[in-house]
Amino acid sequence: MRLVEAVKRANAPRPPEESVRFRVACSAAVLVALLASASVGELAWPLTLAAAALVVAGMAFSWATRAEPPGWVKILVAAGAVAAMAWFALRVNAGPITDIVAVEDALTVLFVCILVVHSFHVPAATDLLFALAASGGLMAVDAAQAVDLAFAVPAAAWAGCALWVLVERWRSASGGGRTSPAGLAAAVGGVTLAAVAAFLVLPAPTVSARTDILSRSPAGGPVAVPVAGALAGDAGQPAELSKPGRAGGPTRVGGYLGFAGSLDTAVRGRLGHQVVMRVRAQRPSYWVGETFDTWDGRSWSQSHPARSVVGGGSPFALPVPAGDPATGPEDLQTFSLARASANLIFHAGAAAEVWFPARTLFVGGDGTVVSPVGIGAGAVYTVESRLVEPGSAALRHDPAGPGLPPPARRRYTQLPRPYRRAAALARAVTAGRRSTYGRVEALIGWLGAHTRYSTAIPPLPPGADTVDEFLFGNRVGYCEQISTALAVMLRSLGVPTREAVGYVPGPYDPVTGLYTVEADDAHAWVQVWFPRYGWQSFDPTASVPAANPDPGAVALADVGRALGRVPLLPAGAVLSVAVSVAAAVSWRRRRPATWAGKVARGLERAGRSAGRPRRPAETLGEYASTLDRLAGDGEATRAAVAAAAEAAAYGGAEPGPDDRRRLVGASRRRLPPGP
Amino acid sequence: MTGGRLRPGRPLAPVVAAPLALAVGWLVAHHSGAGWVQVLGDVVFGAVVVGVLGPAAVLARARVTVTLAPLDGTAGRPVRLEVSASTRVRVRPADPPGPDAFAGPTGPAAGGTATVTLLPARRGVHDRVVVDLATATPFGVQWWTRRVVLHLPAPLAVAPRCGRPAVPPSGAGSGDHDADTAVAVTAAAAAAAVGDPRGARPYEPGDHRRHVHWGATAHTGELMVRRHEQPAVAARHVAVTLPPDPEAAERAAEAALGALAALLEAGTPVVLTTTEAGGRRVAPVADRRDAGRRLAAAVDGTGGGSR
Repeated sequence: MRLVEAVKRANAPRPPEESVRFRVACSAAVLVALLASASVGELAWPLTLAAAALVVAGMAFSWATRAEPPGWVKILVAAGAVAAMAWFALRVNAGPITDIVAVEDALTVLFVCILVVHSFHVPAATDLLFALAASGGLMAVDAAQAVDLAFAVPAAAWAGCALWVLVERWRSASGGGRTSPAGLAAAVGGVTLAAVAAFLVLPAPTVSARTDILSRSPAGGPVAVPVAGALAGDAGQPAELSKPGRAGGPTRVGGYLGFAGSLDTAVRGRLGHQVVMRVRAQRPSYWVGETFDTWDGRSWSQSHPARSVVGGGSPFALPVPAGDPATGPEDLQTFSLARASANLIFHAGAAAEVWFPARTLFVGGDGTVVSPVGIGAGAVYTVESRLVEPGSAALRHDPAGPGLPPPARRRYTQLPRPYRRAAALARAVTAGRRSTYGRVEALIGWLGAHTRYSTAIPPLPPGADTVDEFLFGNRVGYCEQISTALAVMLRSLGVPTREAVGYVPGPYDPVTGLYTVEADDAHAWVQVWFPRYGWQSFDPTASVPAANPDPGAVALADVGRALGRVPLLPAGAVLSVAVSVAAAVSWRRRRPATWAGKVARGLERAGRSAGRPRRPAETLGEYASTLDRLAGDGEATRAAVAAAAEAAAYGGAEPGPDDRRRLVGASRRRLPPGP
Repeated sequence: MTGGRLRPGRPLAPVVAAPLALAVGWLVAHHSGAGWVQVLGDVVFGAVVVGVLGPAAVLARARVTVTLAPLDGTAGRPVRLEVSASTRVRVRPADPPGPDAFAGPTGPAAGGTATVTLLPARRGVHDRVVVDLATATPFGVQWWTRRVVLHLPAPLAVAPRCGRPAVPPSGAGSGDHDADTAVAVTAAAAAAAVGDPRGARPYEPGDHRRHVHWGATAHTGELMVRRHEQPAVAARHVAVTLPPDPEAAERAAEAALGALAALLEAGTPVVLTTTEAGGRRVAPVADRRDAGRRLAAAVDGTGGGSR
């Protein structure tokens, strides 16, 4: 009985909300949430605009019928809400639910339906607040999809609208209470402070469960090809990697030439700072794209490019690469591509499961995962990896031994020639080191002490060997030369090694919780085989100091970079304003302060144009008399004008306004041109 | 204005909502790794925090004063006060009670004054009123209340309701007495003076001292009083003794006011005897308002009771 009464009380009609501003603010919050859905790709723009129009119409209808809402409207709204909920339940139950992210598309539609339907029946303040809460739910769903700082615009707009709603609610509830600008600023400041404090105090977001955010991914669609022949998945040979592009040519965004069937260390691609992808990961890692096992003195390639097909659709359970330990902590990474990329599925460690919108994937024996389609901008895929991170102490005690089957061991210790000098150097550096880890450590230490990092290195001479040129030449190179040198020296010692290419994490964005990977975050490093722990990554480049730069080139580059960062439009506007202000100040300073000064200026200007400038020691009267003589008309007009000006300036005999105008005009009369 | 402690109104909902918003935002963010979800959750948390704590800060600094108040009122009838507030607050009179009203600025051009209505249930003299101030500014999320005492510019005398006269006013000189209401109406000790003075006559016992003609007294060496043109109307002496029980005292006061009003309407001069906080007071009452003020200030016969 008490429950029935409580339900009756809850459903009892509430007094209608009369504040128009309250309704407008609430409508604005709902519209912002709808637009935010469209901006993150959750909702198609036509659907968004239709929903927005319906919300506006619904709010207007609610305002018109607020005093006595028709009963049929309430029934229709209830039926619509029930239908939306039923649709949502059916949609969600259609497949396995892994987490909230798996149902977010349906959630978006549900929230939009609720907002649209509910907008036709919002007579009271509590109804409007419900609409605000629903718009907040929609914003949360949108926020889960946002991968960059551009979402700050809708987020700030919605937050502003939400605060506006609350302020208007108080205004309405208090009979028109006005919040002063200072009070409003204090409130907004307080909200900001509390939000920032919570943001700083709480741990940064990370992935704690499997995510599957693929349904809206445009991956698999047409892929823009930045360079002719590069980065395009080959439809005829879907397992084939992207082509490398032109040697020495521009690589454009994401077009690291290593993400191909071979890695040519003689090619000097130019990588920019464009954002290639944003990665949500449980920890920063080296995200590997592919590995190479065959070295020919100039290029790395894969001796066994054939890849097995993994079908069944997403998620793909990948086979464990031969010899890799199958156990280890999991690491989830979600890659959101900002630009078209090679058809490689990047991942940390060994990929175990991949969520990717394709029917099949291709997996190499080394764990390289290749997409059958090109991966376009906006594509999102998730990889669950197994990480084996034993630490230096465990690796140091890992027994050195064959571990790998002989064929594989031959693949990963292959060298095109004996590399006598490099082998001798390696033996000398690792003398006394028995463990694989000890040898790797010693060689990395030697590289750090004796080589320098620079991307501005001279071209590799024809027929030269990259490693010899690097180790026994100028000893300057970048990640490809440094890692190749380490790999070759290790192979010369009989340590199974392979070259890996991929991306290192870029800067971490605390707002989005994503790592921003730029084109020049492409990297090459070395993976070394440990019998107990499998392939372990080592980055010798990290220990190599930068080479002494050319000061002039660096300064020019810095200036160019600095100028390149200046936003043209605002900078141009500021410069224009500054120039205008300076011109105005200068004009104000130079203009005569009195009419007598104007007369003097007029006479001087007329004299100058006649070829008789005023001399420094010449009084105005003398100068005017001289000009009268030059005019040769027998009148002493200018002398009279000068006399009047001198009388005003020094005698206080100020003429009337009409006389002043006449005198100024007379002073400007031009003279006949001089000889 | 003197104030009391700040008290939150219905504290459960917002206090739960703030950590809940933060927890939901944080959980969803950490489930999906979406930092923007956490940012939105933090903003909601910040809004709830300011919405919960902001009103307390504003209310602690709020200043409310009574700018205009009437001198008289009647029990059961509204008494309107002009109240000025530094910020927008809800004013709920507690003693005497009254309906809610909002005071404080509503716009740049509007003043901060508002009308607060009191509905006193009983008679009494009030030099201050107790009100509950409340606000939920700036977001209307959480109400905070504070009980304050507002001092009136001048004491407000709330007269009793005008009841049915317990003693018929026509019982002049008969010494009527109503034991239930403790109102006694007797002939006054001296006749009240009416009409124009005509001369002087020797003093007689019962003459009022105000009628003593000092000039004639000095001239004759005998105490003389003024003689009036018309014969004086016999004044009635109404003695009100209120019982200690407040309800009974209220009823007695109502009955007394009824009797006094009837006498005054009949043109009979009345001398009223009451007991006030300062002691017994015997004085004529000029009109009904005067009678109401006297009864408002009356206390029970023991000197205690209602103000």
